[in-house]
Amino acid sequence: MALLWIHAVEQGLAYGIAALGVFLTYRVLKFPDLTVDGSFVTGAAIASVLLVQYGFNPFAVLLLAFVAGGIAGLITGFLNTRLGITNLLAGVLTMIMLYSINLRIMGRPNLSLLRVATATRVVDAAWSPLGPFAILAFVAILTLGIKLILDGFLRTEIGFALRATGDSESMITAQGVNTKTMKILGLALSNGLVALSGALVAQYSGFADVGMGLGTIVTGLAAVIIGGTLIRSNRVGWMTLSVLLGSLVYRIAVILALRYGYVVGFQASDLKLITSLLVILALVVPYVRERRMRKVSAC
Amino acid sequence: MKRSIAVVLLAVLVGCIGLAAASEPLRIGICKIVEHPALDAVEQGVIDTLTAAGYVEGVDVEYLIASAQGDFGAAISIAQNYQAQGVDLVVAIATPTAQAAIEVFRGTDTPIIYGAVTDPVGAQLVLSATDPSGNENVTGVSDMIPVAAHLQLLKDLSPDIITIGIVYNPGEANSAVLTEMALAAAPSAGVAIVTATADSTANVPLAAQSLVGRVDAFYVTTDNTVVAAIDSVLAASEEAGVPFLMADPTSLAQSTLAAGFDYYEHGLTVGGIVLDVLSGVGTNEIPVTYQPRAEVHLNLDAAARIGLVFPAAVIDQSAAILYGGVVWKRQNP
Repeated sequence: MALLWIHAVEQGLAYGIAALGVFLTYRVLKFPDLTVDGSFVTGAAIASVLLVQYGFNPFAVLLLAFVAGGIAGLITGFLNTRLGITNLLAGVLTMIMLYSINLRIMGRPNLSLLRVATATRVVDAAWSPLGPFAILAFVAILTLGIKLILDGFLRTEIGFALRATGDSESMITAQGVNTKTMKILGLALSNGLVALSGALVAQYSGFADVGMGLGTIVTGLAAVIIGGTLIRSNRVGWMTLSVLLGSLVYRIAVILALRYGYVVGFQASDLKLITSLLVILALVVPYVRERRMRKVSAC
Repeated sequence: MKRSIAVVLLAVLVGCIGLAAASEPLRIGICKIVEHPALDAVEQGVIDTLTAAGYVEGVDVEYLIASAQGDFGAAISIAQNYQAQGVDLVVAIATPTAQAAIEVFRGTDTPIIYGAVTDPVGAQLVLSATDPSGNENVTGVSDMIPVAAHLQLLKDLSPDIITIGIVYNPGEANSAVLTEMALAAAPSAGVAIVTATADSTANVPLAAQSLVGRVDAFYVTTDNTVVAAIDSVLAASEEAGVPFLMADPTSLAQSTLAAGFDYYEHGLTVGGIVLDVLSGVGTNEIPVTYQPRAEVHLNLDAAARIGLVFPAAVIDQSAAILYGGVVWKRQNP
């Protein structure tokens, strides 16, 4: 059983990196970016091709995937800021383009990583004294490292300009900041993170598939919103932590649904229903608690 | 007195443990990537094979059935769940599910039996199609279609058939492999291939329409996306007045002729492999099994609509015909 919790945390954190990307655009930049469904696969595609066909270092491909995702974000940013296409549509257009581009990168719809030395396999062997905690430790260190770098960036001058662009564009323009550049930067960083997550998940799963990005925006938003409900704070450090927590809650809901769904009489096809119900439960508890506290303080 | 009571209690305890161990049912995990009639049929075929072999559900065997519902992350979680619950064997239906299961159970001796995987070697589930010694804990059944034979079948219909149009989704691994095979087999079959891609079911009618007037026949492989909109492909082929070959006999009513196998039968084949492994045959002793018994079915009603008369040679090799809205099966094989 403990093994299941370890896996839940592993996946929660791996997908949590993508959730941090969604957080950057949706919460900080106030830009609903649908590119992520495509850039997640771009990261996976780049990583797989470089690993299988060119024998790259599995940790270096994570960085290269980040760059590839950044380029995808640049495209959306360009469509929105230079061509004046609305944010939602710009993201959708890039996502659709990426479908074909990802297929070109991979050369086939599904690329297997079962016979190459992926990052997870290397870590598993190198840190074998840790046993089943080896991969968890690696993912945790990577994710928390990225979170801390992101926190640090958001506290720099550029980071503040980015946050201000999302809060009040007119105000920050008056201060002399080029909001177009900020948007492009934010989109590039965000999709870079999502692509990095895709590269990590592909190595963790043992394959890259052109359909594996479907729903990234949904799970990313779920993580952001769940996290925001569980930890209410305007401070950057707590906000990014809440996003990771939200991603964890979602993954735990999926695993609980798989493990215990049948007990309540659910069938295999009810997986997504149970997952959503568990997430609603996770959101209702703090909501009810808050209402109770308000009632108490009112009287 | 106390000592004899202790002995009796101990004996009862041992007996209970022994009974529990003896009656511990076999745990088999059956997972698929998405709900789909073909994949569901494979699942049912596996279960029916085991039931027919004497494995009573709840007593001898416990099935942990799961579907990833199109979520690749869930496919991994399903396999990890199986591992946590200590399943004795995993049946993984479709390529991504099989890949996830193999990754999770890597290095263990839990057998993974895959089904409905078109290209097990290309997906790197096994190293070789013929030499099983490197299989480790993996073996299974491929639903590879004899594409070259299908092209030849189309040519047998009429000497006028030179260009064949294929509608497919390039995002489906199985479909992409089969289309590539068709393109490779075309020259030696003496035909030319024109493809039309549809990345979603909604785009299938458009793709099919784009082939009207450019091809002498339509061909669709086991592509989930296109099969979901197969009526539109038939409509396009009838508008063009050309035959439409579907690589799945269950879709006979929506095609001019169909060649292939039933996915329930495929499930029975997979079940057979499961039984072999359960009875002690090692997974590294069983090479890739290719689904046998492909059949040709003819839709005489659809053929009449486009004025096509099936040649005697084609009728002779057919196993069933659809005539007057009724399917007639050949009695003597």
